[in-house]
Amino acid sequence: MASVIVAEQLTKWYGSRLAVDRVSLEVRAGEILGLLGPNGSGKTTILRILTGYLRPSSGTVTIAGLDTVDDALAVKRRVGYVPENAPLYDGMRVREFLDLMARLKGVVGADVSTSVDEVNARLDLEQVAGRQIGTLSKGFRQRVAIAQALLGTPDILVLDEPGNGLDPRQIIELRELIRSLSGPFTVVVSSHILGEIELVADRAAILLAGHLLAIHPLRGEEARRRLRVEVRGDADRVRIRLAQVHGVGAIIAARSSRQDAAAYLLEVNGPGLAERVAAALVDGGFGLIELRDEPIDLETLFLGLTGGVPPRSAAA
Amino acid sequence: MKRFAALLGKEHRAVFFSPIAYALIAVFLLLMGYTFTSILFVNKVASLAHIFFQMSALFLLMVPIIAMRLVAEERKTGTLEVLLTAPVREIEVVLAKFVASMTLIAVMLALSVSYPVVLAVYGHPDWGPVYSGYLGLLLFAGALLSIGLVVSSLTSNQIVAAVISLGIFFLLWMIDSVGYLLPDPFDTVSVNLSLLAHLSPFALGSVFLSDVGFFLSVILAGLLLSVRALARR
Repeated sequence: MASVIVAEQLTKWYGSRLAVDRVSLEVRAGEILGLLGPNGSGKTTILRILTGYLRPSSGTVTIAGLDTVDDALAVKRRVGYVPENAPLYDGMRVREFLDLMARLKGVVGADVSTSVDEVNARLDLEQVAGRQIGTLSKGFRQRVAIAQALLGTPDILVLDEPGNGLDPRQIIELRELIRSLSGPFTVVVSSHILGEIELVADRAAILLAGHLLAIHPLRGEEARRRLRVEVRGDADRVRIRLAQVHGVGAIIAARSSRQDAAAYLLEVNGPGLAERVAAALVDGGFGLIELRDEPIDLETLFLGLTGGVPPRSAAA
Repeated sequence: MKRFAALLGKEHRAVFFSPIAYALIAVFLLLMGYTFTSILFVNKVASLAHIFFQMSALFLLMVPIIAMRLVAEERKTGTLEVLLTAPVREIEVVLAKFVASMTLIAVMLALSVSYPVVLAVYGHPDWGPVYSGYLGLLLFAGALLSIGLVVSSLTSNQIVAAVISLGIFFLLWMIDSVGYLLPDPFDTVSVNLSLLAHLSPFALGSVFLSDVGFFLSVILAGLLLSVRALARR
């Protein structure tokens, strides 16, 4: 899949403070990339640079080949942005605000009303369309903020901590909404809540103190998996046999529930590995007792990378 | 152009849906009405020269209140981020804010047209100074507003914006009074920077290209600096 967002060596200084340090990443068309990291890790700065709101101190970002600094207006037409805490014009009515945003995004004439009706229906905002934004609950405010981001002709959505301040039910609804947007939209979403990213994103970019530590696939064929296998037989010969299977990476000893068998965690990459591992062990004359998927969870990975306290688990 | 019209509509709404606008208009008309009546009864001369000077002094106090919220409020609430990540140019945002605020000032001045009308009904005013006075006040208020807009663009605190604007306005208002004490060429420079020195000819019926150029230059510089302040992110 082609990369629609390409950031290269992105660096941002605020005075003498380094907020983002040489971050390079690519986002593929139609995927959801989650930026995960504790507060102050540079997530918001990266998102603001992607939207053209901030200029990088050095490095470049291209959106569908357009530079966010040199082609700022064209980039802004393609990106819908929901800033953190959904800042909105509290004195305006929902419909009035969405009309304004549609016009600012180049929608004209009767299309303004049509496109506002569409986003109102999509985000279930019809019931509050006539209400002042300042009187809305946080959940509805967040929906209004997402609705304005969908207006115009964006194909990329950037959401900064969209789950902030929402109750568990609203978080579940938001998660479903974001997942429903992927495909037609490429989505970049940030959160300091590990579970939120794990449930919503296709890949997670893990940030700490302005550094990109890793990009971890969470879904699809790329998602790294582990197999847990319990085998009866000589440990060294088992290891040699397993290492011969194409697609098997690290082989880590694990605790076995049986005294006459040894357990291993295999880092595997590629399709049909379980069958191949099973066949290799059986053909080698070993006693295969158990073979099952053992997914790598993001928390373990985050802890391994940062060596510190993980971001909060999902509120819902 | 349609984007600018949408921005202007938003700014007009922000100005005229706020009680501040009506409080300012009411105070302006009350004070000017009192001054006009008093001066007319004392002088019995069909002239607005005194009124124009009073209005300019009142603008020194009122423009900081009008300008303080223009960008500072949006910066504080975060809506500036929503606005500037939409496909709009900084200059469109700045111009919309300037034009909408100038509309409020124009409304104040338009409502004060009742004074020359009263003079025309009961006397024979010289219309030249009336026209030039209003032109001068518009340019003067525009210059103040553009300075206030720059200050508002540099902070997220409205009170700080208002206080700094007020300080700059008073400095530019009275700069020529101390200018005479300064050695050449600083005395000339300070006199030429004085807002009052450039406004006085308008109020007395003279329109000099240099005065018009001064106010237009201040307006243009203010708008450009505001754009620069918004673009520097």
